[in-house]
Amino acid sequence: MVESSRMTESHAFDVLVVGGGATGAGVLRDLARRGLRSLLVERGDFGTGTTGRYHGLLHSGGRYAVKDSQAARECIDENRVLRRIAPASVEDTGGYFVATPDDPDDYLDVFPAACEKAGIECDEIPVAQALRREPALNPKIRRVFRLPDGSIEPWNLIDANVADARAHGSDAWSYHRVVGFEREGERIVAATVRDERSGTTTKVSTRFVVSAAGAWAGQIAAMAGVELTMRPGKGVMLIYNQRMTDTVVNRCHKAGDGDIMVPVHTVAILGTTDVKVPDPDVYEITRGEVAELIAEGEKLFPDLGRMRLMRAYAGVRPLYQPPADTQASDNRAVSRAHTVIDHANRDGVDNFVSIVGGKLTTFRLMAQDTVDVVAAKLGVTEPCTTADTVLPNQEPGKTYWLGHRLAEHEAEGGGDAALLCECEFVTRPMLNAFLDTHSACSIDDIRRGTRLGMGPCQGGFCTFRAAGLVAERAAGSAGAGGPAGAGGADATLADDADQAIVGYLRERFKGTRPIAAGRQLQELWMVMGMYVGALGIESLVDREPAEPAREVVDAQR
Amino acid sequence: MPSADVVVVGAGLSGLTAALAVAETGARVQVVAKGHAGTHWGSGGLDVAGLPGTATPREGLASLAALPGHPYAHLAGDVAPALEWLRALLAAQGLAYQGDLDTPLQLVPTSIGGTRLAAILPAAQAPAARPWAAGERLVVCGIAGFKDFWPDAIAASLSRPRVWAETSGPERVDAVSVELPGLAARHNLSALELARRLDDPSWRAAAIDRIVSALEANAAKPGGARPGSGRLALPAILGLNDHAAAFDEFRRCLPMEPFEMPLVQPSVPGIRLYNALRAALIGAGGRVLIGEPVAQVDRTGDRVIAVAMEAAVRTATFRTGALILATGGIAGGGIVADNDGHLEEMVLGMPVEAPEFADWLAPDAFDPSGHPLEAAGIRTDADLRPVDRSGKPIFENVRVVGTMLAGQRYLRERCRDGVSIASGWRAAKTLTAVAVPLPVAAAASGSVRP
Repeated sequence: MVESSRMTESHAFDVLVVGGGATGAGVLRDLARRGLRSLLVERGDFGTGTTGRYHGLLHSGGRYAVKDSQAARECIDENRVLRRIAPASVEDTGGYFVATPDDPDDYLDVFPAACEKAGIECDEIPVAQALRREPALNPKIRRVFRLPDGSIEPWNLIDANVADARAHGSDAWSYHRVVGFEREGERIVAATVRDERSGTTTKVSTRFVVSAAGAWAGQIAAMAGVELTMRPGKGVMLIYNQRMTDTVVNRCHKAGDGDIMVPVHTVAILGTTDVKVPDPDVYEITRGEVAELIAEGEKLFPDLGRMRLMRAYAGVRPLYQPPADTQASDNRAVSRAHTVIDHANRDGVDNFVSIVGGKLTTFRLMAQDTVDVVAAKLGVTEPCTTADTVLPNQEPGKTYWLGHRLAEHEAEGGGDAALLCECEFVTRPMLNAFLDTHSACSIDDIRRGTRLGMGPCQGGFCTFRAAGLVAERAAGSAGAGGPAGAGGADATLADDADQAIVGYLRERFKGTRPIAAGRQLQELWMVMGMYVGALGIESLVDREPAEPAREVVDAQR
Repeated sequence: MPSADVVVVGAGLSGLTAALAVAETGARVQVVAKGHAGTHWGSGGLDVAGLPGTATPREGLASLAALPGHPYAHLAGDVAPALEWLRALLAAQGLAYQGDLDTPLQLVPTSIGGTRLAAILPAAQAPAARPWAAGERLVVCGIAGFKDFWPDAIAASLSRPRVWAETSGPERVDAVSVELPGLAARHNLSALELARRLDDPSWRAAAIDRIVSALEANAAKPGGARPGSGRLALPAILGLNDHAAAFDEFRRCLPMEPFEMPLVQPSVPGIRLYNALRAALIGAGGRVLIGEPVAQVDRTGDRVIAVAMEAAVRTATFRTGALILATGGIAGGGIVADNDGHLEEMVLGMPVEAPEFADWLAPDAFDPSGHPLEAAGIRTDADLRPVDRSGKPIFENVRVVGTMLAGQRYLRERCRDGVSIASGWRAAKTLTAVAVPLPVAAAASGSVRP
């Protein structure tokens, strides 16, 4: 989504933040709240990189407790903070750490004490009690620990952080890619950013640059003349069409592949793998990886092989391994922890830091640590307030629950909801409200804002309805005397609504392709039969390749 | 135990065509199916062959018949007589089709604002296939509260020359929308509900009045299409059980020539086709049982002798002289894939011919060559008997029809209906010689449990 407030005349900001994932949005919010007027730029829509492709887990810290007590402590602290400041993004599922017959006893012996040491509430409960709550669990599990895991929705979390930053005088531009930095001696003085839709470039002057580009941080650093080697780690995840569990379920063992199931909204997500990839934009999901994940997942849920897989997707972890000879400030030599790299000491660029590593649960802390460095350098003494202030559009204490959309509809009188996406309960008024406040460039942008098309039909029915509504709005505002061809905020999308249908169905297909079997293959065949057979979608397909290789291999969540 | 000369498994176009052809010979035919089929998802048109670069279905049929392993290699000669026979049967049920194998393929506008190649269409869709005269206009008329037809988007897309490829489309495409009587507060209207309402003559007349007013209002706008010329695209909802009368009334009362655009499922034109086939079959003495999958098939040697269905409180077993397998391939659930790349034929457990697992799907959803997995299916001999990998018939008295047949890429080739009709007809012809019920005692010989 492109926000419409991009009307800053001067294009001069205190700080330029590169990267519109959770970390970048968190940094922007923190900077803004400390009085630094900042701009965030993101090459695509917000939350389309690693943030939008993770498994949805709000860590309790239990997964790190044995191996890395500090990371575990950061997780539980931030877990509590996020429940407080972003309740609408958090579902309080609770978490089970279960010992399957395959898991060694020595880990179980140290696990509770490790949790206690990190400050994580950890109660062992009877196996029968866990099976009563989650009957799909493997009945052969031997022990169960209950921890405060949850699930978290990344896109509205970013939206809320950006909204708070805007309320404090900062701004964020999606679909704007940094294509170069201008240096004067040891300082970056400006960046050139390109509008990815129009191709026009803009110069943005700045006093400081924060790279929150995650797995892409090496590419941003290179533009500033700095060498930074990231180790992007691909993680594959599988989406099931149902919540076979309402509780996050982890294997209680040394973390590995396919050992966690996270209920997220209407679905459940099995994660994950960890494979080093050379390029964070080019990777593939193989049938072999899918089969291995399912085989591991069956140790937690024995019927998994018979449940309906809906989609596979992958994200790249922004892993960073500091070289042995770096300065002390760079030296948290723990791969999943985060590191604020001050390029002044390390590389001789005075006003440039990169925030690398870390995980979504600790994004706010990562932002705080980053902005502490920036503020000190810019002589700003305002303290960080992001942990204590509830984000905009949140009701304190009111966490997400699955039935909320239906409940809200019922509360407004119920009756015949104008459902455009039946799978995810997206109504016409909801879509109108989203389009009124965001300028969507694609139906995928609408998905991130509303969850349209994320259910079992994978866009088979709602896609053309969303395009239809966009066209109707555009025609309506044009008819009402608006400028020709510009039907309000969503004109970009309306101009090419037919291509939006093709693009979205293509995107959804990419995630179906690695898992196509059983009912989901049948559904794909029926949807293709409709769109090709009866609706002639091939007449709308532009045969020019829209984007490079990324388009071919990469599936979004 | 009830018995039949032929049991047909599957109630789509191929299964019902086969059953009709069997019933016409006077043989007893029983259709069993777990549910409704591709008719309910399709356009209602009869696609025989719609290859880009060919002028008529007959031309496309000839080039597909020349492809090694394509079902038309066996069926090319059956298409014309089968189609002619079926069209007469459908017309007798009040469902008229226009076009034949020599009708030029035309780009027909669709309800997502695209076009598709078609030649043989229900009468209510056929006006869309007439070439557009110079200056001719199209108006797309939607219905408020109906979420499967968006006139503004359709009109915007059809205004682009690209969707009309090399041919010329309408000079201008307008969008109008009407609120139909009594539906102001409705937000989830389905095509079926609207079609049923339009069966009611008085409601229909009121609806037509609203559409006429909307067209007049549109004509009053600058450049708006004048009533009296041009064509009017409506969603395919013009009556379900009284469609012929409904369409006739729309033609008589509207100031532009109306035609229907097929929609996403539930497809009203497809359901009309299903209803007509079913009525013709029952009229010819055939029986239809829908609601459960096949539970068991009994066989002796290379012959199927009985088919069992789970009925409400007990198993219903049909002793039979032959079986026609019309279970719809992957889309119909007749073939099911597991996560390891194994494809199972669900009724008889027969071997499925398929590409390598890794090659099933092209990287692009809309790859112009389609997906290799589309060609998966059951290999047969010229009489449509299933054969094993060495080419030897597996069952003497089984015939395989429709999208179960290997070797077709029916999405890309637009041949699904032609293959279904020709194979259904052919299966019935080749079975009349072998369809002799066996004595009950033989049923002990063996069974296949899907």
